[in-house]
Amino acid sequence: MLSADAAGGARLTAVNGRAEALDLQIGDRLADARARAGTYVQVRDADPDADADALRRLALWGLRYTPLSSPWPEDMGGDGFFLDVTGASHLFGGEMALLKDLARRLSQFGLDARCALAETPGAAWALSRFHHGLPVILIPGEEKQALSPLPIEALRIDGETSATLRRLGFKTVGTLIDRPRAPFAARFDGKLLTRLDQALGRAAEPLGFIMPPALYHARRQLLEPVSHQDAIVAIMARLMRDLVPELTRDGMGVRHLRLDLFRVDGVVASLDLGLARPSRDPAHVTKLAALKLDRLASDIDAGFGFETLTLSATQVEPMTARQESLLDRIDDHDTSEREAMLIDSLMHRLGEDRVRRLVARASHIPEQAGGIVLAAQVQTPSQQKPHTGPRPFLLLPKPEAAEVLSLLPEGPPRRFRWRGVMRNAVQADGPERIAGEWWRDRQGEPDLTRDYYVVEDEIGHRFWLYREGVQDRETDPPRWFVHGFFA
Amino acid sequence: MLSPAPHRMEIDDLRRLLPLLEGDALARANLPFGIPAIDGHLPRGGLPLGALHEVRAVDFVALPAAFGFSLALLGRIDRRKPLILIAGRSLAEHGRIYYHGLAALGVNPERLIWVAPRDRRQVLWAMETSLRSGIPAAVIAMVAEGLHLHDSQRLQLAAKTAGIPLVLVSARKAARSNVAVTRWAIDAAPAGRDRFGLIAQARWRVKLERCRNGRPGEWLVEWNHAAYRFRLAAALADPALPESAGNSAAWRLTG
Repeated sequence: MLSADAAGGARLTAVNGRAEALDLQIGDRLADARARAGTYVQVRDADPDADADALRRLALWGLRYTPLSSPWPEDMGGDGFFLDVTGASHLFGGEMALLKDLARRLSQFGLDARCALAETPGAAWALSRFHHGLPVILIPGEEKQALSPLPIEALRIDGETSATLRRLGFKTVGTLIDRPRAPFAARFDGKLLTRLDQALGRAAEPLGFIMPPALYHARRQLLEPVSHQDAIVAIMARLMRDLVPELTRDGMGVRHLRLDLFRVDGVVASLDLGLARPSRDPAHVTKLAALKLDRLASDIDAGFGFETLTLSATQVEPMTARQESLLDRIDDHDTSEREAMLIDSLMHRLGEDRVRRLVARASHIPEQAGGIVLAAQVQTPSQQKPHTGPRPFLLLPKPEAAEVLSLLPEGPPRRFRWRGVMRNAVQADGPERIAGEWWRDRQGEPDLTRDYYVVEDEIGHRFWLYREGVQDRETDPPRWFVHGFFA
Repeated sequence: MLSPAPHRMEIDDLRRLLPLLEGDALARANLPFGIPAIDGHLPRGGLPLGALHEVRAVDFVALPAAFGFSLALLGRIDRRKPLILIAGRSLAEHGRIYYHGLAALGVNPERLIWVAPRDRRQVLWAMETSLRSGIPAAVIAMVAEGLHLHDSQRLQLAAKTAGIPLVLVSARKAARSNVAVTRWAIDAAPAGRDRFGLIAQARWRVKLERCRNGRPGEWLVEWNHAAYRFRLAAALADPALPESAGNSAAWRLTG
C-alpha cells in the first residue's frame, strides 16, 4: 500500500491486490485501514513525481507502436497513456493483435494492463477503467450504447462532481446522455458536458502528445534484437530509404531526424540528427548517424539489444527537385550543398556547438558587430556593410586592461604594459572615436565613448588599443584596453 | 533551353574528359606568390596545393602575424569554396577571429568555417575529414604541439589526394620532424606606411626554412590589401615608403 499525507491524517493512495482482498480502498485513513486489516500491512510513502516519471517512460515506450503517445495527466488519474494507432494497427496484424501484443508486453514488465480501443480518447479511457472483459475494441458509432451502463465516474470528472451527481440520482452515464443540457450547464462547471461530448465524439479533444507528431515516419521491427553499432547504422539506412519516396513525392528534404531505439526491456534511446540543409540522401544521413553514434557510443546502453527502430523526420523543408545523375557528373556544380554536407559531418562527430561561422550584425560597437554563431543556424549571408576603419582580424571577446603612458591626457599611447610586458608604441594611428550606444539602456554600466588606436611596437606587432571614456566628462583618469591584433 | 541534341552530346563528351584533366592538374597545381624572388625558390614556381605546409611563428607574440600571413596566402585560392579553420584553445589567447578584420587579408568572412575540436584526436579527425571531403579551398589548423610522423604522413596523403593544402600554424620553437613540404618561420615586421606616415600595408619577415624540391630563403614580404597580392618590401627601393618611417630604431632588413 502507498499512503500520502492529506487533511485529517495520512490516507491510502494505492493498494495492491492483497490489500483489496482485505477490503481496503483508496482514500481510507491509514490508521483506520491498519485497524481494519487486523494483520500486518506494509505501507510506503507515495512518490507522485516518480510515478509521473515512470508513466512518461512508459508512454515513450509506447512510441514503438505509433509516433503519437500521450500520458494521462493528473486529472485523468495519471495512471495510463493514450496511443493514437490510426493507420498504425495494420503493421501489427490488426487492432486486436496490437492490443494483445501491448497487454502481453506490459505484463512482461510486471504491469497489469487494461487496454481498450475506441474512436475517442474519452471512450477508450472509460472502457479501460470500467469495462469488464478486456481488451475491448469499440465499433465506431456505438459509443452511446457502450458507455451508457458505465458509472458516471467513467466521464473523467472530479470526485466532487460525481458525488453531487450520485446524490441527485445520476448513477450511470446513460442517465446523463439524453438529458436537457441547460440545467447541467448551470449546475456544474463546463467540464462535465465537455467530457461527455468528448467521450461521445461530439467535441474534439486535443491530446498533449509526448513528442511532436512526426511528419514522415518509418519503422523496422527486428526478429532478433540488435546491439551492434554497424547493425543499427545499416537499419537506419533502410529506414531512410523507406522515407525517400514520400519525401520525393512531396518535394521535401529533411532538416531534422529522430532515430528511436527501443530496447527489449522497454527503455528507449533517442538520437537527434540535425542537417545544415534539407537532404533526402540516405547515404548522407546514414553517415551522419554513424558519426553521431561514434561520439555517443558510450552513452547508449544497448542492454540485451534493440528490437524496434523508428526513424521520424521531425522537420522538413522544401527541396528543389533535380536530376541526381547530372549532379554526379558535374562535381562542383553545387558547392554550397556539398559544403553543407561537410558541416553536417563535422557537427555530428564533434558536437553542434563545435562548428561555427562568422556573421556581421548591425552595430558599431566592435565586439557586437561581429558575431560567431553555430554553423547550423546560419541561413543567409549577412547583409551588413563592413566597417570602414582599420579592424583587427583577431578580437579579444573581453578587452584586457593595459597600463598606458601617454604624453597628453587625450593623446596617443607612447608606452603600454600588457600581460606583464612593457612595449614601446613606435606608431599609434588614431584616434577613431566610437561612441557608446547611449540609446540602448543597459543595466549596470553605461557604454562609454572609446578612442581606438592602431599601435605598432618596435618589432612590428600591431595591436588595437582603446581609451575608455572622455576625460573629465565621463571618467577620470581614462582606462586603457587591448582589444585586438592585426596581422 | 535551346541547345540542340548533337551539340549537347559534344559538351557531355567534353565534360567526361574534364575530371581527367583536373586530376592531372590537381597533382601539379600550385599557388605562386607573384613574386619571382620567392617563386624561384619553390618547386614549379609556386606553393604546391595538394600538400602539407607548416607555418611557424617565431614566438608567441608573433602568432597573429603567422596566422594572418597564412590567411592572406590561402585566401587567394578559389574564392567560392569555404576555408576551414581548425582551432581550439591555442587561438584563445589571442581572442577570436573577427568578421570585419578579414576583408583586409583578402578573405571573405562568409567563407570561413571555424571548427573547434575538443582534443588532439578530434583535431586530427577534423583535418582529415575536411581534406577528404574535397570541398574546402584550404584547411588551416592551429596546433599547439607538433604532429607525429605517422599522422603527418596520413594528412599529407589526404591533402595530396584531394589537391587541397593543409597549413599547420603554430608558435613552437623547433619543429618536430614531419613530412611537411614547406616550413615557414614568420615574424612581425613594421608595417609599410602610406604617404601620410600611417600604418598601411602589413609586412612580415618570411623565412622559408625548408622546402622539398626547392631552396630556403628569407624575405620581407608586404601584403597589398587593395590588390590582394604580395610583393617584396624592398625598403630602399620602395617609393611608397617615406623617409620618416625609416627612423624607427628597430628597422633592420633581413634577407
